[in-house]
Amino acid sequence: MKKLIQVKNVVKTFDKQVVLKGISLDIEENEFVTLLGPSGCGKTTLLRIIAGFLDPDEGHVIMDGEDIAKIPAYQRDVNTVFQHYALFPHLNVYENIAFGLKIKKQPKDIIDQKVRRMISLVGLEGFEKRDVTRLSGGQQQRVAIARALVNEPKVLLLDESLSALDKNLRKEMQLELKQIQKEVGITFIFVTHDQEEALTMSDKIVIMKDGEIEQIGTPTEVYNEPVNEYCARFVGDSNIIDGIMKRDRLVSFDDNDYECVDYGFSENEEVDIMLRPEDINITARNKGLLNGEVKSVLFKGIHNEVIVETSSGTSKTVIMHVTKSHDVKNEEAHETISAKSFFMDPEDVPTLTSSEVITRANAQAWTDDEEEISISKVDFHVKEEEGVYECTLATEKGTEITININVVKPALIEDKENEEIIQAFDFYRDADEIKESVALDTDLILWADAYAWNTEDDSRVEIWDVKYDFDDENITEGDYPVTFSTQGRELKIETTMHIQEGERIGLWWKPEDIHVMRKMR
Amino acid sequence: MKSFSKMAYPYVVWMCIMIIMPMLMLVLYAFTVKGNDILTFQFTLENFARFFNDTIFPSVLWRSLKMAFITTGLCILIGYPTAYIFARMKPNNQAVMILLVTLPMWINVLVRTYAWRGLLGYVDFSSEMRVYVGMIYNFLPFMILEIYTSLSKIDPNLIVASHDLGADDGETFRRVILPLSLPGVVSGITLVFLPAVSSFFIPKLLGGGQYVLIGNLIEDYFITSGDWNFGSAISLIMAIIILISMYVMRKLDRGAKEAMD
Repeated sequence: MKKLIQVKNVVKTFDKQVVLKGISLDIEENEFVTLLGPSGCGKTTLLRIIAGFLDPDEGHVIMDGEDIAKIPAYQRDVNTVFQHYALFPHLNVYENIAFGLKIKKQPKDIIDQKVRRMISLVGLEGFEKRDVTRLSGGQQQRVAIARALVNEPKVLLLDESLSALDKNLRKEMQLELKQIQKEVGITFIFVTHDQEEALTMSDKIVIMKDGEIEQIGTPTEVYNEPVNEYCARFVGDSNIIDGIMKRDRLVSFDDNDYECVDYGFSENEEVDIMLRPEDINITARNKGLLNGEVKSVLFKGIHNEVIVETSSGTSKTVIMHVTKSHDVKNEEAHETISAKSFFMDPEDVPTLTSSEVITRANAQAWTDDEEEISISKVDFHVKEEEGVYECTLATEKGTEITININVVKPALIEDKENEEIIQAFDFYRDADEIKESVALDTDLILWADAYAWNTEDDSRVEIWDVKYDFDDENITEGDYPVTFSTQGRELKIETTMHIQEGERIGLWWKPEDIHVMRKMR
Repeated sequence: MKSFSKMAYPYVVWMCIMIIMPMLMLVLYAFTVKGNDILTFQFTLENFARFFNDTIFPSVLWRSLKMAFITTGLCILIGYPTAYIFARMKPNNQAVMILLVTLPMWINVLVRTYAWRGLLGYVDFSSEMRVYVGMIYNFLPFMILEIYTSLSKIDPNLIVASHDLGADDGETFRRVILPLSLPGVVSGITLVFLPAVSSFFIPKLLGGGQYVLIGNLIEDYFITSGDWNFGSAISLIMAIIILISMYVMRKLDRGAKEAMD
């Protein structure tokens, strides 16, 4: 095959924002090339530069060995199918398709012959005299394709051309476009953000990100061997796992080594591992490469999508002291006040304010008529060292309650493997508060001040799971353990097997199903 | 919406009294002789015969139509490029230019025409030229606004598509921009031609009595000579000409609209 278009180091900037950061790309004759990427990755800009609607700031576009920088759009051997088709509303179907040929002043009979051939190619016979605005989206799409192809361009550019169609029609048009491309035998450059579209139609997929090309390859290549996490996530469903390349053909994650077929990494290099959900198989416990517990099963028609937890996250257990409610009633003032003792970190003492004490103690006061009143006085003397300190809260009318503030150093749980730290405090609550809670998990996290973060970059890690063993509807006084944990290793699996939530299973895969990728810059 | 339809009743009454009644009176006057009292009418076609048998009256009518035609034509010639330039400016500048075009309309037409009388006193123009200046000045903004509106409604992607299909700027204008802006031109013509053909104060103020148009004739017969019957007949002839031209415009407009959709 011959190189038809060479894009060489093209840079484009809009308002000081670099949209294309030096793109180089070869496009061959008769190729169906897809520029794939999210919105804002520069794919449409690149297309417009090839079409001649935009000029590159730097670099060259070479077509048939000739730099086309100086050739205006209307003289290029390139035609475009626009995102919203841009059909001429004052012309009918026939006149729209004939537009380009009329401009070229071709003889009438030749025009007629070519237009009719195009109309039958895109299957619009009988629609010649139709008003283009009265056509359906799919028909407009066909007119746009015919209008571009009738000029016999060397390259057809398609700018998100299928995105305005509904799902079924889009699938139909995907096949049709591929069919047309084979029939007319010219190069198609197709821009889309839809990975499925790209996989279905393309000979070559160009994955773009932030104005740069991440990967160029056939659909099989980009699906099976993505170069990095970004490409793996963009094309198809995948499990991406942080791992370490022990040596050639041996990779490790979650403390286990696995055989693979990848090589050429440096020893103990940190890598991203990709496992496609359809490549993971389910077997009996202890019979596979690793064990896990089924977290959820989603029915997806042909297959079930199963989430399996293979290792738990970082967790911390605290004691919830369920106490008798000891509201203080002030008969004279017809008021009641309630508050709970609480635990806190000495580090937080210097910034402790009255309102924070009220929040942490869950302090409330109300009249006999159940009307809420504010707590106006908070008396506390807390030192920045471990100990138990008394604190008095009171209303305007002198209804007061005394609680304990327990200053204790938090027992941090650090998980070296997960690079996470989790902390939480014991806490006091009365039975009613637990019974009345609408979102108990969230409340428990709040009451225990549970918090987890990544040791590497100090970013916050979500508390994924709250486990407890009490019946919150009928809880009585006593001490109860509550465990907070972060998300562990969860793998997504596609299977046709019927499987139950909570089942303990084994998982296995073939060494070649593991795909190891270099970490992204 | 139904509950609001009753709010139109006062307007219907107002229309009957202020528009329909005078129209009927006009028709009545046009077909009767002078000096009828309220109970006895003497019908006649004399007023119309007088108009068409005279050499002056048809020539004044012809002159009025010619004047309106030329005014409209010049308004298109000046207005189209102006509107085209506006439509290609940056949005902010477009708003400023449109404001500048509409700004004179905030001042009463009569006042503006008087001002022109003063200004044109400094140059040696024929009375015909002076009337043209006044007419074009007065009607040009309508033409510009109508054409500008239709030009700015054109999807810029169509122009890109036209270039993509091999058309240079000239071809793109001829084959895409011009046909798509025609509806604006047609409604601009309606807004200029109709008032221009019946205008009377501009020729009166700027023509200095030398340049008589049909509007001036009507005014003379009603106000100066008090011959309401003949004045009504001329008005009716005018009205019929306007109706015909409106019908033609409607046809043209629909043709252009169909091309648009």
